[in-house]
Amino acid sequence: MESLDGAQAREHIEMVERILSESSQRLCSGAGYFIVWGLYSGSATIGFQLINNGVLPPAALWGQGALLLAAIVYTILASRAQRAASTRRSLVQREFLNVLALTIGLAFIANVGAFNLFHGWAASAIWSFAEAIVLLYIGMHGNRRAQICGVLVVVSMIVANFVHGDLAGYVLAAGMVAGYAGFGIAERLAGD
Amino acid sequence: MRASASPSVSPATDRDVDELLLSKIRLGIVAELLTAEWIAFSELARALDVSNGNLGAHVARLVDAGYVDEEKSFLNRRPLTRYRLTTRGRDAFVAHVEQLQSLLKANV
Repeated sequence: MESLDGAQAREHIEMVERILSESSQRLCSGAGYFIVWGLYSGSATIGFQLINNGVLPPAALWGQGALLLAAIVYTILASRAQRAASTRRSLVQREFLNVLALTIGLAFIANVGAFNLFHGWAASAIWSFAEAIVLLYIGMHGNRRAQICGVLVVVSMIVANFVHGDLAGYVLAAGMVAGYAGFGIAERLAGD
Repeated sequence: MRASASPSVSPATDRDVDELLLSKIRLGIVAELLTAEWIAFSELARALDVSNGNLGAHVARLVDAGYVDEEKSFLNRRPLTRYRLTTRGRDAFVAHVEQLQSLLKANV
């Protein structure tokens, strides 16, 4: 039977502590998703605003459909590539993916299935709300950039609430682009 | 590997130490898996800085003991072996580390 002396016990404990402290608690967020979905949601909201203001015809909604399709295709391809390259998934990452799926999924259901409740700018703001939750959740795990970007999105909702209806969409879109896509750009620049 | 200058633990306490986790590499494997949903074989070898053959032998013992689950699959036509810690392995790790800590206290 093997045994262990005090020095070995200490050595083993130190190794365990080192492994646990080095094990990445950082969320692997995937900068590209934030950039693409931030830009898409921002451009869609601007599109709604331009249609609302009479600058664009309602037929311009078809263009948004094409953008949405492009964002979905990107997400599928990028997640496939990420999965192929991935050699580890932390428990924190799994939790993040659960939060992301729940938040975006519920926002989608509210947007598509409860449009009588969330109509007008509420339909756009609910996406800001979902994006803010995702960013602030990442921020809770120590990512300062996510905290700042999450606050930006929240502020954009509050400001949009008080500005004239001709501007509300632009304000929400600014929050989505600067907050959500901006976070993705900041992560990419930081070496995500 | 054993440091002879250090005092040995008392036999009574020694019996409680999980023999499977007395190996530094096996303990390292379980520690790596503790905060992960899963880790690929190649990543485990890199993280622990051990050869594939060495890692394979150690991880096989953990799999046989039910501490670690092994999952073999193919991704883009390449074989992929992933490992995840079982509840049994997690419990054994916690008990083992507590035991190590009590050994340290007893030897201070």
